[in-house]
Order: sequence, then structure tokens, then C-alpha cells
Amino acid sequence: MSIRFEKVDYEYSPNTPFAFQALKEIDLELSLGKITAIIGATGSGKTTMVQHLNALLLPTAGKVTVQDFEIEANKRFTQVKALRQKVGLVFQFAEYQLFEETLIKDVAFGPKNFGVAEHEAEEIAKSCLRTVGIDELDYEKSPLELSGGQKRRVAIAGILAMSPEILVLDEPTAGLDPQGAKQMMDLFKKLNSEKKITILIVTHNMEHVLDYCDEVVVLDHGKVLMQTDINTFFENDEYMEKANINPPSIIRLKNLLKKNGISISKDVVTIDGMVKELTKRLKK
Amino acid sequence: MKNVTLGQYIPLDSFFHRLDPRSKICAMMALLIAVFIPTGWWGYLIIGTIVIFCVLVSKLQLDFIFKAMKPMLTMLLFLGIINILVIKTGDLWLSFGPINIYSDAVIQTLYIIVRLMMMIMITTLLTATTKPMDMTLGIEDLLLPLEKLKVPTHDIAMMISLALRFIPTLIEEADRILKAQASRGVDLENGSLKEKISAVLSLIVPMFVSCFQRADDLADAMEARGYVVGAQRVRYKTLKFKFGDYVVIIVANILLGLMIYIAVRMSK
Ligand SMILES: Nc1ncnc2c1ncn2[C@@H]1O[C@H](COP(=O)(O)OP(=O)(O)OP(=O)(O)O)[C@@H](O)[C@H]1O
Ligand SMILES: [Mg+2]
Repeated sequence: MSIRFEKVDYEYSPNTPFAFQALKEIDLELSLGKITAIIGATGSGKTTMVQHLNALLLPTAGKVTVQDFEIEANKRFTQVKALRQKVGLVFQFAEYQLFEETLIKDVAFGPKNFGVAEHEAEEIAKSCLRTVGIDELDYEKSPLELSGGQKRRVAIAGILAMSPEILVLDEPTAGLDPQGAKQMMDLFKKLNSEKKITILIVTHNMEHVLDYCDEVVVLDHGKVLMQTDINTFFENDEYMEKANINPPSIIRLKNLLKKNGISISKDVVTIDGMVKELTKRLKK
Repeated sequence: MKNVTLGQYIPLDSFFHRLDPRSKICAMMALLIAVFIPTGWWGYLIIGTIVIFCVLVSKLQLDFIFKAMKPMLTMLLFLGIINILVIKTGDLWLSFGPINIYSDAVIQTLYIIVRLMMMIMITTLLTATTKPMDMTLGIEDLLLPLEKLKVPTHDIAMMISLALRFIPTLIEEADRILKAQASRGVDLENGSLKEKISAVLSLIVPMFVSCFQRADDLADAMEARGYVVGAQRVRYKTLKFKFGDYVVIIVANILLGLMIYIAVRMSK
């Protein structure tokens, strides 16, 4: 069981002057149960790629497999609803999709669409709102009264309420304050380790990739540039250079030290840990 | 959603793209009037050939133009049915039981279809080859004489250009919200009436919210850059007629004259 892309092409507005090939022969296999980061420059096709996972976009060539669902180019895909319940997709700027009068109703909207009874859906909604850290006093408020960051959390709760097995997040922390972003990332980590939810996360934040993810996929101009595990990725300067990213400062320091003959174990990923490790060595 | 092509600017480089918006608007007006002059098939053949020639010169693909016509299809169908049921003159061509189809009905319908098709081609030719910003300048200049009558010409032009400018943005937005709600299980095709209403609401409410937000942001951004409603403005870009512009206007008006001539001759 896995998520697989086989020679997937995607072209926007084919056969028009605006035709644009956003994905080119994507070949990829992601194992379930992990947290995978999808990174790449703006416009590299990350959003386009993840929208294939719940059949919002259908490949113009190739095949996408998600567990037992097969989405093939030029073939009608009939199990849309079942797939969308399994794969929850949180959009970039998800805050714009809120529409109900109250937060509870908005979060309950998803489960109700999938046939959960009204009362039960509201119970689920409450627990999901609690999970994403929305204050109980706000449950009956209108989404319009919330700040951007709070709206984002409500939107995430709206997807969690459908209890997906695969959670796809398109830049879920963009625009959140650092503390709030960390809380969200901690939440995703928890969902992954406790409920065994597979998580795919599109992000520009390398610290998050380093701290929370198991694997990384780098996209570049609609192609897969590389796919490796986090440790290999951050240990090799060439990889990061090829992916054209700025490594987190701790990684830069570590790799610089390594070049000068001081190798630090890969368990050290925080500044505090680094300070401790270095003082220990200096004392020796 | 992405198939809405009506009113969209297509960035290409052609003779028509380089023309002055004013001459294009004037020529379009002349042609539109010409299309509605009852000249019979000869007149339409002449205009039709010229319009199709223009489309080819503009480098727009013909199927792009046909797509722009698609939304009209149902209307045309409806018109055709009404015509066939109502018009009872000319030769009887076909009859199925109570329904009799007369030659005039068919010819009338064909006339309307041809006229509408040409109308759409002509307007698409204008909107697809003119940047919204240039269009505003053009409209504003052409409305200038009305300024004397205290008509707020600049405001009108600005409103038109903003509306044109935001069509693609709103389509994109609608597409995004549609997708976001689809991933929450919204299904616009199946389900009971109540479910359908809730599905439509889930699209419309966020659309309205984001439209108002956008309008607000836009107003702030314009004010921050010194835009004052009703103030005298100078222009960064000034329009200038070139040789081609005179040619286009003259040709369009000759064509209009020709149509009038044909119509007058025919009515004698
Ligand atoms: N609806 C669309 N029509 C045409 N082209 C599009 C459309 N959406 C995206 N594209 C193009 O496809 C390419 C990939 O877009 P995509 O949104 O997948 O990028 P991204 O990697 O998610 O970028 P970002 O980091 O900015 O979110 C871009 O070059 C974009 O211009
Ligand atoms: Mg994106």
C-alpha cells in the first residue's frame, strides 16, 4: 500500500494559448505512515502535484495510485467521494473556504457531506476545534470574526473532522506566527505518531522539514529533482545546493564543522543540543 | 470554469494587438452596426469574410472564438424553437403532425444565428487583442466629449477596466473555492435539493467574502498610491494614432457604408 505517481504529466488549459505543462513525467513512490515534505521554488508544481492526490486534478498522462484507488489519464474516475474522504487536502490559504455562520457548523460541514449525522458531526467538530487549539468560547462565533491564523486553524479542523487516513497540507503554516506554526507542526507530528496518519506537507520552511519530516521530495520546474530521507538530504551540501535551498543555520554550522574535521552526531538538531555537545567536547 | 473565454485578453503579437484601442473600438462599433443592417446573404458574406480574415490576422485560434460562443448555444437553440413555432409565413417545408416548419422561420433563425456569431467574433476580436488598461484609456478618450455634460467619464472607464481586469481573477478564485469545497465532499451534481442548496451556498458565501475583501484591499492600494476619485490625472501612457489606425477606421466605415448601400438598393 502506498502512494504512487507513474509518469504523470499535467497540463493546464490544454489546446489554448494559455497551455502550460505544470508537471512533467512525475515518478514517485511514497510509503504510508511517514511525514513527507514536498519542497521546491514557487511555481515548481507542488500545489498542482498534491491536488492529484484526491482527484481534484486528473493527470493528462500517466497514473496516480493512492492505496487501492487508481486515477488514470483519459479514464473516468468514479470513486471520487470515497477517495476524498480518505485523503484530506488542506489548501494553501485555506482560510478562504469558510462559509457557515459558526465555526462548529463549518467544521461539521465535511463530515455531514460524507453522511455523518448532524449531532455526531457537531461532536466531531468540537473535538477537532479543540485539537487545533481554538478557544471554546469562540465555537459559536462567525468565521469572519477570526484572525487569519485562527481561520487557518479552523480550516484545518474542517479537514481533520473527516478523519482522513492521508493528510495533505499545502503550506499550512505560511502566515502563522512562529509559535502558532510550531503548535500546528507539533499537532501534525502527533497525528502521525498517534493515529498513524500519513502526512504530506508542502512547505518553504526548512526548519520544519528538518524538525518534523522523515522524507523530502524536491520539485523543480514540474519535475522530481530528488527524493531522499531527511538525514541524507541535510548531510550533503551538494544536495541542498542542487535543490537551491538555504539550509537551517544549525545544519550549516554542523556541515561547516564537519568540513573542518569535527563531526557531530545526527541526533543533534537544536541549538541547545549543539551548545551542550560542543562544551562537552571542549572540556575533554 | 476555465473554459470561459469571453472577454479575455490574449497576449499575442499581431497587427490588431498593436492598434490604438480607440480605432479598434470605433471600428468595432461600425462593424456591429453593419451586422445589424438587413442586407441579405450577400452582405453577410462580405462582412463574414472580412471578420474571419481579421481573426486570422489577429493570430487568435478559431476554436478560441468558438469557445467564446459556447455560452450562447442554449440561447440560440431556444430562439430557433420559438421562431419555428411562431413564424408561419413562406413555403411550408416540413410538417410533423401539429408542427409545421415554414421557410421563413428557418431563414429568420439562420439570420439571427449568423448575426450573433459575427457579433461575438467582432467583440472577441476587440477584447482579446486589447489590454484592459488600454481599453480604459480608449473608452475614456472616446467618452471625453461627454465630460462637458458632467458625465464622470474617467470613473466610468475605471469601473469598466476594473471589471474586465477582475474577470480572470474571479474565475480563478471560484475555481479554487470549488476545489476546496470539493475536497470537503461537496458534490454539486448529486444529492437532494437541500444538499444542493447548501453546496451552492458553500461556494457563493466565500466568493462574496473574498470579493468584498479584494475590493477593500484594492481601494486601499489605490488610495495609498495617491488615487483620488474625481481628481485631475495626468497620463503615463498617451495614445497615438498610426497609419494602420486610420486604415482600420476607414475600411470599417466604408464597409458600413457599403452595407447601407446594399440595404437601400434591396429595399427598392
Ligand atoms: N489554473 C492554472 N492555469 C494555468 N497555469 C497554472 C494554474 N495554476 C498554476 N499554474 C502554473 O503552474 C505552475 C505550477 O503551479 P503550482 O501552483 O503548482 O506551484 P507551487 O509549486 O505550488 O508554487 P507556490 O510555492 O507558489 O505555491 C506555475 O508556473 C503556475 O503558473
Ligand atoms: Mg502552491
